[in-house]
Amino acid sequence: MSGVLKTENLRFAYERMPVLENIGFEVRAGDYVGIIGPNGGGKTTLLKSVLGLEKAEGKIWWFGEELKDFRAWHKIGYLAQKSPVSQSRFPICAEEVVLMGLTGRHGSGIGTGELKQVYEAMSQTNTRQYAGKIFHDLSIGQQQRVLLARALVSKPEVLILDEPSTALDATSREMFFDLLGKLNKEQGTTILLITHDTGEVGKYISKFMYIDKTLVFFGTKEEFCHSSAVAQKLGAFAQHTIDHLHNRHGHCPLGDNCEECAHHG
Amino acid sequence: MVSEFLSYGFVQKGLLAGSLVAASCAILGVFLVLKRLSLIGDGMSHVCLTGVAVALLTSTSPVYMSVPVVLLSSLGIMKLTQKFRIYGDAAIGIISAAGISVGLVITALAGGFNTDLLSYLFGSILTVSWTEGILCAVLLSVILLLLFAFYRDLVSSCFDEPFAKTRGIAVSTVNTILVMITSVAVVLAFKVVGIFLISALLIIPPVSALLVSRTFKQVLWKSVCFGVTSVWGGIFISFVLDIPSGAAIILVNLCFLAGAYIYAKIGHTVENGK
Repeated sequence: MSGVLKTENLRFAYERMPVLENIGFEVRAGDYVGIIGPNGGGKTTLLKSVLGLEKAEGKIWWFGEELKDFRAWHKIGYLAQKSPVSQSRFPICAEEVVLMGLTGRHGSGIGTGELKQVYEAMSQTNTRQYAGKIFHDLSIGQQQRVLLARALVSKPEVLILDEPSTALDATSREMFFDLLGKLNKEQGTTILLITHDTGEVGKYISKFMYIDKTLVFFGTKEEFCHSSAVAQKLGAFAQHTIDHLHNRHGHCPLGDNCEECAHHG
Repeated sequence: MVSEFLSYGFVQKGLLAGSLVAASCAILGVFLVLKRLSLIGDGMSHVCLTGVAVALLTSTSPVYMSVPVVLLSSLGIMKLTQKFRIYGDAAIGIISAAGISVGLVITALAGGFNTDLLSYLFGSILTVSWTEGILCAVLLSVILLLLFAFYRDLVSSCFDEPFAKTRGIAVSTVNTILVMITSVAVVLAFKVVGIFLISALLIIPPVSALLVSRTFKQVLWKSVCFGVTSVWGGIFISFVLDIPSGAAIILVNLCFLAGAYIYAKIGHTVENGK
């Protein structure tokens, strides 16, 4: 599998206060990475840095190209933590919002091919019925699904999602994570997802990244659950995450080979 | 009366230049309001005072003298917000206060206020020259050209700046160009409505349009309609009642805003009642 995202010695500080220190990792095509860690640990800053939204020191490569030279933004889909419209009524309908996900066109015209892509993405996220509605008039959960369609419309090879499910109800959340799982399994989409809900997404995730200013852990789910070093290093949090992975769905996400399950009977 | 009003050369020049400036401000204002940068016009207009004071002191053209002063100040506002992480409204407040202070000091050194300065403070649309009219036409053409060429980039960067950056849109360049063009529009507008009221021409038409529009394109053309109609209505009222044209233009704008608000309220009530 080829490298999709690589960082080396990534550092970032707000007002001289270090937020990220010496972060180096490589995400490979098809990985589904769950990014976890405490509040203020630098998870969102890390994602913003790799996207160039925060100016971090160190090196970042996307598909083998340095971030400053990278132009193939259509390969990346991004869904932020917060909806961009909070109070003011921005005069734009849902389908226009999704259209913003396409790159390379600047004028005001919309091609039929583009509209087809927009409707495909909206169908994927079950938001086609909101196409003509003013974005601001939709509920926060509906807005979030429209924004996911915006992230998907360019058929990205990588999806970057920052706690995307916080505003969703239980049904929408399940549909949301099923869709991400399907994209990862069937289309090989690489996913980087910040989450606190390790139980719900645990069955899909292939790797964990634990960030607490530094990169504390980056490896497979199996390594995370069974590594005594991880348990020692992360203490209560690791145990909580492992318990969450095991108990949330009433079955072990690691299958029959899980030593934890064997140990606990 | 209307034909008599339109027969005067100075009225024709005023209407032409006023319409062009109002249309420019109305378009720029939509982006400034949605980017929460609307008070930048206020800050820049105060900086105009420095440009005008220097021009009156050196007997040069206030318009030509104000353009570089306001452009530099607008870049100063951008730098303060980007490099020094100062909130946008605070940066505008700092530059605005600096503009007024320097302007007042220069005015005092030059021997105090005179009628020329007062006409710039409160506007004197009927003294607009043909050269200034041509400059207004060039400004509007540039704005329309950029709007058609970069419509999506502009809308996207207004709606969600971080996401726009991940689409490869040079958002900071877009913002810099927007602010620089606004600087020129502000300088050309101070003869129309006066230094004190320029920001109203940038803010009120877009806000009125936002109340009665469902799409971004509607906001743009309705904002232009409100802005241009207010110039025509304001100049006509000032001609009939012999009152300052700048104030009359803004009062007409405020009437449009009140009308748009009532229309939006009724529309909302009807929609909820269905």
